[in-house]
This record gives sequence, structure tokens and C-alpha cells, in this order.
Amino acid sequence: MIRTRTFNVNDDNYTVAVSDTDSLVDVLRDKLRLTGTKKGCNAGDCGVCTVLIDGEPVNSCLMLAAQAEGKSIRTIEGLATDGELSPIQKAFVHEGGIQCGYCTPGMVMSATALLERNASPTEGEIKEALSGNLCRCTGYSGILRAVKRCDDYRGDGTCAKRTQTSDSQAQTGLDHGTEHDPQSAIRNPQLSSVGVPIPRVDAADKVTGRAIYTADIHLSNMVYGKILGSTVAHGRIKRIDTSKAEALEGVLAVITGKDVPDTMYGVSPARYDEHVLAKDKVRYVGDEVAAVGAIDERTAEMATKLIEVEYEELPAVFDALEAVKEGVPQLHDRYERNINTRIDHNFGDIEKGFAESHHVREETFTGNSVYQSPLEPHAAIATWDHAGTLVLYTATQVPHYVQYMMAHVLHMPLGKVRVIRPAVGGGFGGKAETTPLDLCSAILSKKLGRPVKMVYSREDMFHHGRGRHKQHMKFKLGVDREGRIKAFKSEIYLDGGAYSSFGVVTAYYAGSVLPTLYHIPNYKYDGYRVMTNKPACGAMRGHGVPQPRFAFECLLTMIADDLGIDPVKIRRRNAMMPNTRTINDMDIGSCEFLATLDAVAAKSGWNEKYGKLPKGKGIGIGCGGFVSGAGYCIYRGQVQLSHEKGREPFQKKSIFPHANAVVKISEDGTAAVLLIGAAEIGQGSDTVLTQMCAEALGIPTSRIRIRSEDSEISPLDLGAYSSRVTLMAGHAVSRAGEAVVEKLRPYAAAMLGCDGSEVVARDAEFFPTRAAGFSPRGATESCRAAGTAGPDEVGSPRGVPEASQSPTPNSQSPIESVPWEEVARKYFNDHGPLLGTGCYKPPDGLGGDYKGATVGTSPAYSFGSAVCELSVDLETGKVKMERFTDYHDCGTPINPQAVHGQVEGAVVMGASETIMEDVQFDEKGNILNPNLHGYLTMTIKDAPEIFSGLVDSYEPRGPYGAKEIGEGSTLPVLGAVAHAIANATGIWIKDLPITPERILKALRERKEASVR
Amino acid sequence: MPDFELHETTTLAEASDLLRRFGTDARLLAGGTDLLVDLRSARVRVGHVISLSRIDDLRGISKSEAGLRIGALTTIAQLDRSDIVRERFSPIVDATGRMSAPPIRSVATVGGNIVSAVPCADLPPILTTMHASVILWSPEGERSVQLESLFVGPRQTTLRKGEVLLAVLVPSMRARFGAAYERFGLRDGNAIAVASVAASLELEGDDTVRECRIVLGSVAPIPKLVESASAALVGKKPEADAFREAAAVAMAAAEPICDVRGSAEFRRELVKVLTQRALKTALQRAQETEA
Repeated sequence: MIRTRTFNVNDDNYTVAVSDTDSLVDVLRDKLRLTGTKKGCNAGDCGVCTVLIDGEPVNSCLMLAAQAEGKSIRTIEGLATDGELSPIQKAFVHEGGIQCGYCTPGMVMSATALLERNASPTEGEIKEALSGNLCRCTGYSGILRAVKRCDDYRGDGTCAKRTQTSDSQAQTGLDHGTEHDPQSAIRNPQLSSVGVPIPRVDAADKVTGRAIYTADIHLSNMVYGKILGSTVAHGRIKRIDTSKAEALEGVLAVITGKDVPDTMYGVSPARYDEHVLAKDKVRYVGDEVAAVGAIDERTAEMATKLIEVEYEELPAVFDALEAVKEGVPQLHDRYERNINTRIDHNFGDIEKGFAESHHVREETFTGNSVYQSPLEPHAAIATWDHAGTLVLYTATQVPHYVQYMMAHVLHMPLGKVRVIRPAVGGGFGGKAETTPLDLCSAILSKKLGRPVKMVYSREDMFHHGRGRHKQHMKFKLGVDREGRIKAFKSEIYLDGGAYSSFGVVTAYYAGSVLPTLYHIPNYKYDGYRVMTNKPACGAMRGHGVPQPRFAFECLLTMIADDLGIDPVKIRRRNAMMPNTRTINDMDIGSCEFLATLDAVAAKSGWNEKYGKLPKGKGIGIGCGGFVSGAGYCIYRGQVQLSHEKGREPFQKKSIFPHANAVVKISEDGTAAVLLIGAAEIGQGSDTVLTQMCAEALGIPTSRIRIRSEDSEISPLDLGAYSSRVTLMAGHAVSRAGEAVVEKLRPYAAAMLGCDGSEVVARDAEFFPTRAAGFSPRGATESCRAAGTAGPDEVGSPRGVPEASQSPTPNSQSPIESVPWEEVARKYFNDHGPLLGTGCYKPPDGLGGDYKGATVGTSPAYSFGSAVCELSVDLETGKVKMERFTDYHDCGTPINPQAVHGQVEGAVVMGASETIMEDVQFDEKGNILNPNLHGYLTMTIKDAPEIFSGLVDSYEPRGPYGAKEIGEGSTLPVLGAVAHAIANATGIWIKDLPITPERILKALRERKEASVR
Repeated sequence: MPDFELHETTTLAEASDLLRRFGTDARLLAGGTDLLVDLRSARVRVGHVISLSRIDDLRGISKSEAGLRIGALTTIAQLDRSDIVRERFSPIVDATGRMSAPPIRSVATVGGNIVSAVPCADLPPILTTMHASVILWSPEGERSVQLESLFVGPRQTTLRKGEVLLAVLVPSMRARFGAAYERFGLRDGNAIAVASVAASLELEGDDTVRECRIVLGSVAPIPKLVESASAALVGKKPEADAFREAAAVAMAAAEPICDVRGSAEFRRELVKVLTQRALKTALQRAQETEA
């Protein structure tokens, strides 16, 4: 029943017609258009919809709108007063409490409720108050800092004061709780914007609810779509009857397999094996069968339930080790014995290596089915203009690949597809593919001539989200007397689910990145990526590597224990060194792995603790590293191939630039707009790219606006995957900035009365070099050279400033200078638009000459070491994470706050997947926990205290010396946790996740064995 | 969400009348934190939802000589923050402080947590050990039922057609009485209990156990009062050995299921551990009452 109700929201009264069944969140978002309140799970598990009702925090998805009538409702939009952020909002902005921003409104509302009731809460009270708000990005560290330090942001002026100190000191002086390394704040004094821990450029929008995510967008005349998934794990579609659905009032269109192109899609071009909707077979529960467009979401959902599908059920297989056996049901004709990818890599002489080993140990490890679970559900809105251009708004981390794939499936030129990426609420690899939402919304929209919006439910996300591959790993490691690795053999079965997705690459990564951390002279890798009747797996943070890395770290530590060598020492003895070509032909440039090991051991008090802790307390170490961007694009050849044309033969070089940027200066010279397609998904790329652009231009970051959301405006960038953005897009951006400065040089020189080569732009002014006492900026120089630098050049001298002691131009008495904007204005008067462009191609020739040699190549590699301290309740098996110490070599950080934010997030995500995350299936292939109360991720109460430190490092192939942090920071975590649990209990648990139940079982078995 | 009609009642009589009229096609709505999830997932399909939130008779926490009266619409957050509860009925806070998360606690009600009869509910075990009863209202009058007699199965109670849970009564704690609630969740924040145990002890002058109650949550179709476990302790000195023995009895009495949160075996193991821990804390609290 529809009734007119009045709601008091943020002191305004709104009178609207609502249905009895409408929840408060839907009325706020859809009727009042207050989209700052987010929707994440619709079941009260995630907290992103938290609002205050009469001052109390409430999940607005679990309240009927009717229940809120007559009460005071406060939403995120109501916190700022006259445009001034509330103290807690300011604290979130400045303390790194925000990344993707999707949990932020709910988190801030919960914090507000707490602080209004209790002005100075204890840490325990803060954690309790925020325990209903999940965050997947920050590791809760910045959030905790923000609430603790909220007092610093009260009153006038204190915030500004704080902002200044946060540049140099706020990173350092924390008395307790999660902290950062003081060293991290040390930066090159020659640089003004790079190396500065500025708050995110999108922080204010995210903390006020102004940031617009795809599901927040409403287009006129919009239709809502829903997808119907298969109810059987394996079957042939015998009959589909859509008549009842079509007859439902409000249903506008129903499409099935016959309405979609025959063209298949996927990720790896050699293995496109998905249809938009099933043509014939379904291969997992949830496989897309039909889609409905209707006047509202509820009608669309009801209509999907009215579609009758008759299946001829086929026998199914759910286990990767089973699936390869003879006579087991085949998922796809083309993958014999369900083997989708087979890798047989042999480097050196493995048999000889084992023969020469003093000690050999073989162990079997099993990974888990981990889901990225970003807080923001995938969403897409498609609309076509009259000229036949498809406009697609989508929650993606790879706008370019989506554009490419839409063009491929819909048979249209790339130029006819415009992809808009609104704010994205986290990806972690789960938004790195074109989704059925993108394709179905486009097809429905074309059919109906109206915009079509589609949003996944949390359950849909588990079905279609492309989680981490579960890996079955048999590892054999041989070492000499001192623990030096002689040979390593790895056999891995990756459980790929029903389609290829990224899987080929995943399988190669599972082998290729292991030899980048330790010297492995003889290496054999047998990889099998196997199809099973489960949701397809794809790329997740650390792509393919975290589980093998976990297994390797465990095995190395086991061997250290066997030989009585300290686990830190055995790692030191095998550690990768700079300027090394690995056995599998990866070129390591800068490498401060040893420094991370030493720092983490010293900071954590390793020597005082390891082997000396009481029963139930554990300490463990894990290490890891990752690529700073994939050396090669996922597809080869031209940007888009026509359907007829075959693939071009492989060449060991990039055909087109992977990252491209344009800088456009306003006519009066006071602002710069940075155009680049790099996908901001919460990791902070907009911020670090703005900083690098500012540095190259010589103007403050506050004068730069970045436009990265629209393929129509910004040139191609491959997107946020393989931890590539800082290095690759960073180069493009800094080159575009330099191109602008290059154009301005003659003008500045004329005004300053010197030669063009003698002017430098900095702090919004142009100076003659002689007057300012500048030395050439080392980072800029190396940055120019980096694109073509071969392996020999890696390790060239660092761009350490020579003139670090010289006074800054501003503090000098009369120095000749001209304002930057004046120079730019003069340029415009003569030439019109002032633009600079820049691009980046990875160096040519990366990698070896064997099959699969491209995967794992990168211009640069990161390194890191982590120590985990925890306690285990030996009666219940419960693990309590206590403290993490992590040191990373990420090159020279562009923004230390952003770097620490990535580490803190990775520690909690990694620890969470090690001990509690697992997608579980029943014997029919149904997911048993497709929700956030069954699939658990850590809350703020579960997260450890984290110390994040950085070692001094400079990567000549990176912009301003930078490498990566986002994915690599996950890798040391799993092994460190597993080791700490083994240290606390005396038992290695080799199956993930290491749940209380598994720990208790292992303890019981040991007890029973000792009795016998 | 499937369609239903919302009835916003203002009196108990009205709510009861609608309940009788629509029978199984109606559900009462208090906080809604369970019901809305059930309606959305179609576990519950009804044409009518009867909201109680405007019935003032269902609100308020009050203390009389006999004990504590908690109105059915009292939220978990209100109960948790109540001074009377914290001072005089503090074992309840063991449950309210760890149940779910604040955005749920500020809406979920005491009445809902009890009358939903979900096996993993946190309040019934601790309230049962404290000898709580519920007052059920119908136009024919009020009747009182001991909490342990209320539950018959998962989501099933002995409520009669048209009855509304009015309030919960918790008798004042006697001297030398202590109770405690232990729960195990797979994470520290916002997790459903995998197993939980509430225990209470009342001591004699000679320090032997006069009375004991052990109630298990999440491991049986209903919050299970294990009288045999209590019997193992009565008349004995409350010592570790005796607690172990009682825990073994409790463990044997558990009838857990296997699900995504854990196997039956794991849950039994937990019952054993949690029973001993709850008894230990209950004993400590019983002894503290003398001070």
C-alpha cells in the first residue's frame, strides 16, 4: 500500500509517497535523492547504510521507511554546517580514514553517534561503536586514528594547523595504536608535491556524501534491469518460457541467449569462452540465463522469478583435483580433461639441484576460495545516443578493457563506446573485467531506447565477482647446509571455476613471481588451471601469487626450523639482490629486500621474541613482492582489432602506450586539468597522479584538477590492475607536465632575461636556475630515460638532490622570478590552448623467450617483509591478531600517507583471508555463504595494530623513483600469520583459512597422537 | 521485497485483533532486524505486517521489589546502557554488549530477540539462568511463562494465537547468586554465536552449590536448559573438577548442527570450554556478592 509520509531528514521535512514495503535506505536514496547513504548488502551486515535515528546509529536497510516517520533522521549530508566539515569529517580527511569512500558515510555516522554520546571514548569503545561498519580498504587504521584525534579538529583553525603538520609530523607522532614510521615522512626537499603526505584529492567529496558512485546516478526515463542465474551447476537449457515475466505489469523487455551476440568474450584473447547470456549450456549455479528490464528494480526482480527455465541436468564437478580425472564431466569441449591452462616450466636442472641439496622437504598446501568483497556492489548504466554511441557508466577498475570488450561483443568501433567510471567503491581485482551488467544493460538499453541501470545484489556479487583461485599446491624445496636454496619444484592445481576469466594469467603468475624474491637456481613449475562447476575465478590483489607465496614462506620456515636456522637468517641468505636477472628471466632493478628484513626484525624485536614466547603466543615472519605493472598488455597488437583480422604475431615490445596523459592549462594560467584514464578505485591514484603532475608543472597540487572518469575526455590508460598505475600512469603524467613546462620555457626566459634552458618552474613561479641555485631535478631526468632503459641501466645513480641545503627561492630576498600563471597566459595569447601530452610504454624486450615468459615481467619489482604477533586461545582455537610490523620497498613514495594506507589495508585483508575467509559450497554447487554474515571479513575489532615502515629506495625506472605498493603489500601477510600460528601452537596448518576449528582439530590430533 | 500491508497499531488490543484476524498471514514487527531480512529472502511470506512501535505499553525498563521489568520494545542498546541493569542485573550485559553491532542493537528489541525463537539468540540463555519469565498479553488477560517453557523449536514458541509479548520479568538476584554468559563467534565484531553458554550458581552457607543453571545457545533447536548438568553440581563444592564434569554433561546434551560456521563436533567442543568459563565467572560473581 502506498501512503504519503513526512520524513524529517537533516532538519528538513520531506513529504513523499512511499510503499509499506519501502526500506528507509531506498526512500532516502531513490525518493529523496540523498545518495550519500550507501547500499551494500541489504541485510544489516556491512553498515554502509548507517544513518542516525534520534541520535542512534541504525542500518537504514533494516528499517521500513514507515518506522522512521516522525523521528529525526540524520544522514551524511547533514553533518557539515554551511559548507564547513564537522570535526570528525575533517579528521577522516586528514588522518587517512578514507580510501574508496563507500564505507565512509556509514562509518562517519557511527563515529558521530559515539562522539555525541561520549566525547572522549577509549580505543575499546571506538572499536565497539564501529564494529558494525565494514571497511575493506583501510585496515581500519586511518579510521581509528581519525576518531581518536577528532579533538584536534574541533574549533576554528585547528584543522588548518593540523593540515600543515600532517605534511611533516602527523605521520610520526603517535603515542599508541596504529602508527607509521617516522622515516616515511622524510622526502626529497627539492620536490614540492611529490613525497608529501597530502590528504586524498577526493576526500572531502567522499566524507560528505557528494562523491557519486554508479548506483547513485539517476538518468531520466531510466529502466532497471536484473539478471536471472541458473539454478543448476551444470546443465543444458531445454526450454525457456518468458511469457509470464513479460506479462507482469511494468516489465518492458526480457532477453535470453537468443537475443545476444554469438561473439564470445572473456579476458585472455585466446580463451574467450563466455556468452553474454547462456546459449545452450549453463556451467555453474548463477550462470547468466536471462535478463529483464522493468520500470523499477522490484518489478525486474519479481519478473526474473517468473521466467521458467527447464534444464537437462548434467553431472557436475566441483573439485579441481577431481576434475582432471578421466571420465569426469567436461565443462567445455575445448578444454580436455577440464584443463584450461597447462604450464610446464623448467629452469636450470631441477634433479641436479635436489641431488646437491643437503636437506629436501616436500609439503602439500591448500588455499581457499577468497572473494574480494568490495563494499560497493558492481553497477552499470547504459544508454545510447541518437548517433549510435553507447555511453556506459560502470563500476570498474579497467575502463579501457571494458570499452574494448563492449566494442568487441557488440561489433562496433571502439570510438563508438564511451565508458564513464564514476567513483568506485573498491575493486581488489573483482572489478577488473567486463561484467554481464555492462553487456546486458547495453543490450537492453538498445532494445528499449532508454537508459538501463543494473546493480548486483550482494549474492550476485558472490556469483559473478571473480574471486581468488583456490590453489592446491605441492611444493618441494631443497637447500644446502646453510639453508641456501638449491632447487624448488612446484605443482599447482588452480580451481578456476566455470570460465577462463583471467585464469591463464593467474596460473602463470602463480609460478613466475616466486623467483623474484629469493635466488632460486633450479626451478620447475607444473601448473594446471582447471575448470569446475563453480563461479569463475579471476584476479585478486596479488594475482595468483598470495597462496603460492604463503606456501613457499611456510616451507622455507619449516626448513629453517629443520636446520636450526633462524627464519630471518635463512631469508637473508637467499634474498634477491638489486640488478639481477632471475632464473625465469625477470629483470630485477632496485631491490631493498634485505633492508626490509633487517628493519622488520629490529622493529618487531624478533630476536628477543622468536622462540621465547609463552605457549599460545606466536610471532611469525613472511615476505613477498610484486610487479609494478604488467610488462605487456592483456591483448596484443593494435588498440582494437577488427573481428576478421587475426591476431598479430607476438613481439617483445608494446605496440601502443599503456598510459597516456594530457595536461590542459586554463586560459588565465591559474589552473591545470589533468586528463588521464587511470582508474581511481579507492587506492588513491587520482591523488598521487595529481602530485606528480604538480611536481612536473611546478605548481601546487591545489591548482590541479584531475579528470580520470571519462573515456571521452581522457586518453587511454589500461586501468588499475597489476599494481601498475603509480609507475606507468605516473610517467605519462609527469611527461605531460614537463611538455607544458617545455612550451613555457622560452616565454619565461624572455621575461627573466635568460636562456630557455636556464629556467625552472617551481612553487608556481619560474626562476632562472642561476638565481635559484637549483640543480637539475634528478627524478625528472631519470624519468625521461626510464622508458627506454635496458637492464644494464638499472641501478643508475640515485636522483638525490645536491642542493638540499640551499634556501628555497621563496625565503630568499629579492630573487628574479615570474609568476607561473603569467607565463602561461602569455603563451595562450600567442598560441591558444596550452596543452602537454605524455605517454608511457614499458621497456622493450622484457622477459625471456619461453612460452608464458611475458607474465610476471615488469619494469620494476617491490619487496616487503612483515612480522605478525598474535595469540591463540588453545581451548577454542580462536586467533587474536595483536600486532603487525611491516617494512616495504616501494621505491620512493609519492604520498607516504597513501602508501601506509595501502599497507594497512593489505595487512587486514591478508590476515582476514588467512584466518576467516572462504566461499563454501554445498554438494550441488550452491554457495552456502553468499552474504556478509556467512562470508566474514575482519571488523575493526579483529584488526591488529599495524606499524608500517618504508625503507629508503629509489627505482630508476619509476617516476620520481617510485614502484608499487597496492598488491605487493598483501603478499608477506599470509605467510607471516601462518607462521605466527604455528609458533603459538607448535603445529603447522597448511590449509587455508586457518580457522579456529582447524586449529582445535590439529591440537586434538596431536594430543591423541601423544597419548598413543 | 514481496508485497505486504503494514498495520501501524497503537494499542495491544488492535495488534492482537489483527493477529487473530490474519493468522499465519501476519507477523508482528518490533525492531524488524530479523523480520526484514526474512521477508526479503522470502523465508517468511506474509500479506500483513503489524507494527508495534507506537504502542507505549511495550516500552520502558522499571525496577520493583520483585525484580526488573523490561518492556518488550526496549532496544538492546537501551538495555545495555540502563543504569539499573548495569548495577543490579549486570550479567545481562554479557549478552547485550556482544550481540551483533551497534546499528542493530539500537533497533533490535528485547521482545524480538526472545519471541523470534532463533536458536542463536543471545538473550534467552542468560535470562533463563536468571529465572526470567515473560508476560504474554491477550484480550483475555495476561499470563506469565517461565522463559525455559516458552521455546518449542527453531522459530516456534508456546505463544497462543493473538498473544503479544508484553514484558520480561527478571527476579532480583539473591545474595550468593552469580551468572555469566560466554559466547564464541568467528570474529570479534558483529558475529553470530557459533556456540554460547550461560551459567548461574547460587551458593549455600557452606560454599557448596545450592542451585545451578546451565543454558546452551546455538547448539540445539531451542535455548537448552541442561538440568542434568546442573544436577552434577548441586551439593558439591564449586571447583574445577566439578565444573569439568558439568561441562562434560552439557557437551553431551548439546544437539548441534553442522553449518558454514562450524561442524557439530567443533560446537560440542566449544560447549565444553564455554561451560567451564561461564561457571567460573558465575562463581566469581556469586562470591563477590558477599563483599
